[in-house]
This record gives sequence, structure tokens and C-alpha cells, in this order.
Amino acid sequence: MSFFNDIGDSFYKSFIYDDRYLYFLEGIKNTLIIAFFAVLIGIFLGMIISLIKDYNKEKNKLKILAKICDFYVYVIRGTPVLLQLMILYYVVFKTVDIPIVLVGVLTFGLNSAAYVSEIIRSGILSIGNGQKEAAKTLGLSYFQTMRYVIFPQVLQNMLPALGNEFITLLKDTSVAGYIGIVELLKASDIVSSRTYDYFFPLIVSALIYLFFTFLLVRFMRMLERKLNHVRS
Amino acid sequence: MYEVKKLVKKFDKVKVLKEIDLDIKEGEKIVIIGPSGSGKSTLLRCLGRLESPTSGKIYFDNKDITKIHNTHEIGMVFQSFNLFENLTVLENITLAPIKTKLLSKQEAIKKAREYLKQIKLEDKENNYPADLSGGQKQRVAIIRALMTNPKVILFDEPTSALDREMIEEVLNLMEDVAKEGITMIVVTHELNFASNFATKIIFMDEGKILESGSPKELFNNPKTERLKEFLKG
Ligand SMILES: Nc1ncnc2c1ncn2[C@@H]1O[C@H](COP(=O)(O)OP(=O)(O)OP(=O)(O)O)[C@@H](O)[C@H]1O
Ligand SMILES: [Mg+2]
Repeated sequence: MSFFNDIGDSFYKSFIYDDRYLYFLEGIKNTLIIAFFAVLIGIFLGMIISLIKDYNKEKNKLKILAKICDFYVYVIRGTPVLLQLMILYYVVFKTVDIPIVLVGVLTFGLNSAAYVSEIIRSGILSIGNGQKEAAKTLGLSYFQTMRYVIFPQVLQNMLPALGNEFITLLKDTSVAGYIGIVELLKASDIVSSRTYDYFFPLIVSALIYLFFTFLLVRFMRMLERKLNHVRS
Repeated sequence: MYEVKKLVKKFDKVKVLKEIDLDIKEGEKIVIIGPSGSGKSTLLRCLGRLESPTSGKIYFDNKDITKIHNTHEIGMVFQSFNLFENLTVLENITLAPIKTKLLSKQEAIKKAREYLKQIKLEDKENNYPADLSGGQKQRVAIIRALMTNPKVILFDEPTSALDREMIEEVLNLMEDVAKEGITMIVVTHELNFASNFATKIIFMDEGKILESGSPKELFNNPKTERLKEFLKG
């Protein structure tokens, strides 16, 4: 009996007492905000970076911009995301009054953009030149070709890789606690440091992460099926 | 229509086209023949703006071809078809005329359906390229090129990727297209087709035009040893 009493007690301490569940809600909220907006930034900026690089390769223009993009991707991929977060928070925005969650959104968005741009770039390469050449001889411009012919195929081919990237991103937001953002893992940390009881906070955080990644996987599968359905 | 002056194309130091001079008049049906690696595709791709000359000039209707940006006047048909994999047959053939504002959507669809009927693929308009046979793909690619009203269509071995029984249907369509009076430049190994179809045959070897003239002249009276050898197979 005392085992169940202990469990009940532990649960009570971790979530009910002092409305501690509110920490978890706050954590979920911030984790989702950071992940969601970072994905948007990642897709948008990642597409622009890959477009600049491809345009440079194709037309031999925008040289300097393409070099900057190369350097950007190199730096982002070559350093830990926690370090990037700390640089943004302790150096770039040191004297700027900016909501701390926004620093998280920016860091993970800028980080993800580099990875997304590489995924799109390899997607463009995998399609081969024939599609671009056919479009060119039909009088389509570079941007029309990318918009109507290349990007739809890249999206279709690269959906699994993009899905992986977004799952990684969702989990990586857990390092945002380091600069004091109350994301999910930080929330559980705050609670367990009050109760000296790690069991429930950690297990529940794990379950919540699993739930969200499960949803994400299902969502990507659905997209894949929808896009493949179009083809056959 | 085309004036080619001392065209040189190098790929890393290797001269693939060696000072080619060539005039092509409107309405001509040119067939380019020659051994593998002689530069036929490279010449055609230069004419189609897919490769830029290393030196020399190509004029198209008196305009320097390197100064032409987006144009629908030079169409091209590829050995590997290059239909847009993400689009249906109908979308494949209407995309360019609609997006370049050559035709309204309704006009484009109407014209596309007429062409599809002509090649007897009207029931495939909502299929994707992956559902078509090679011969069907190539015929769709040809009418896709026609949709934008080009002045010339370049064909790079349009039947080389096809099985015997499909080659005929593609060559027949090309003959139909020829009757419309459009200028055509064709790289092919189908010499029987070439002798009926061409107003002029060009024989290339090692980056140069060795002989050119009517099919009769070249096939019955080859002057160079290289062409004699080539015709023997
Ligand atoms: N993009 C390229 N880069 C480097 N070399 C190339 C490239 N394209 C063609 N070449 C070379 O140029 C030469 C001529 O090639 P091309 O494709 O024009 O010949 P072809 O006459 O069309 O031959 P085939 O009958 O085999 O198609 C070949 O030696 C080929 O290896
Ligand atoms: Mg070739």
C-alpha cells in the first residue's frame, strides 16, 4: 500500500501542490512556440538560401551573396546550437530588451534554416538538369521554373528528410532552458529541484515530447501520402 | 534564321566544337549525323541556349543568341523526354503558354486538347508522365514544344531511348510537324527517316562539319572516307 501512497504523494507534489502543473503548461507553450516559429523561419530562410546558391550556380550571378550563404551554413552546421543560443542571448541581444522566448525562436529558426537549405539543395540536385532545361526551352523564367517545376518535386522527394529535421528541432529546443527560457524540460527541472523528486517530472516531459513527435510524424506521413496520391 | 560563325565550345580545355560555320534558313529540315562524341548534342545545345559558346557567335533572327533571355521561339525535344514529373499531361503542355502569358488558360487548354486528340492521347490528359510509355512521353514532349509556337524545334536523338515499336509513332509525328512548315533540326541515327525527311544533312566528325548537302548527295555520293565508313555502320 505504501508504494501507491508514495506514488500518489509524488504525483501530488510534482503537479498539484502549489499549482505546479502551471510550470508544465508554460513549458509546453514555450516549446511549441519556439518549435513552430523556428520551423517557419527555417523553411522560409532555408528556401531563400538554397535559391540564392542555385541561382548563383545556374547564372553565375549573386556571387557575394552566395559566398555569404555558404559561410552561414558552414558556421551554423559547424557549431553547437547551444553555443549559437548563448551568442545570440549574451552577445547579440545583450543590451536589447527582447522577450527571451523570441531569442529562442530566432536561434532555432536561424539554425534550422541552414539545415533546411542543405536538404533543399540536395533535393534540387537529385532532380537533375533535364527538368530545368526543358522549362528553359519552353520560355519559362528561372523563378517560374523553380516555383512550378522544381520546388514541388523537391518538396515531394525531401519530405522525409524535412520531417526528420523538424523532429530534431522540436527536441533540440530543450537546450533553450540553459538561458532561462521555461520550455518543457526546464519546467520539469524547476519542479524537481523544489521536490527533489525527478521521477514524475522527467517521465511526464518525455511522454509529452513523444506525443508531439508522434503527431509530427503522423502529419508528415499524411502530407507524403497526399503528395504521392497526386502522382499515381 | 540561324547564323553560326566560328563557333567553338570547350569543356575544360577540350575543344568539342572546332570553329563551326553554319547557316540555317527558315523552314529547313536539318538532320545532323555523325559518330558518338563528334559534338552533335553540343552543337544542338548551343543552338538551344543550353550551352554558351566559348568563342564565336550564334545569331538567331539576327540577334546574338547570348543576349536573348527568356524565349519560347526555340523549342527543344530531348532523348530523355524531360516531361515535368510533378504535373499531369495536360498541365505539362499548358504550363509554359499560360505562365508566359502566350495564351489564356482557356485557350491553352483548348489547344492542348486538340493536340492530344491528334496524337490520340486525349484520354491521358489527367495522367502523370510516370503512367505513360516512352513513345507516349515523347509525343507529349513534342506537342508541349509546339504549344509555345516556336520558330524552330531542336530534337536530340528523340527516338534513341525508345523500343523499336515506338520509334515509328514518334517519327510519324515529327513528319506531321514538318508539314506545318516549322524549322526543325534533328540529331538522329535513323538514316532511313533522315533521307526522306531532311532538306539537308550535316555530317559531323570530331567537332567539325565534314560534309553537308541533300540526303541524295551525302548518302549516294559520300566524299570523305569518314562518312563512307560511318554509312557502312
Ligand atoms: N558537359 C560536358 N562536360 C564535359 N565534356 C562534355 C560535356 N558534354 C559533352 N562533353 C564531351 O564532348 C564531346 C562531344 O559530346 P556530344 O555529346 O556533343 O557528342 P554527340 O555527338 O552528341 O555524341 P552521341 O552520339 O554519343 O550523343 C564528348 O567527348 C563528350 O564527352
Ligand atoms: Mg548526343
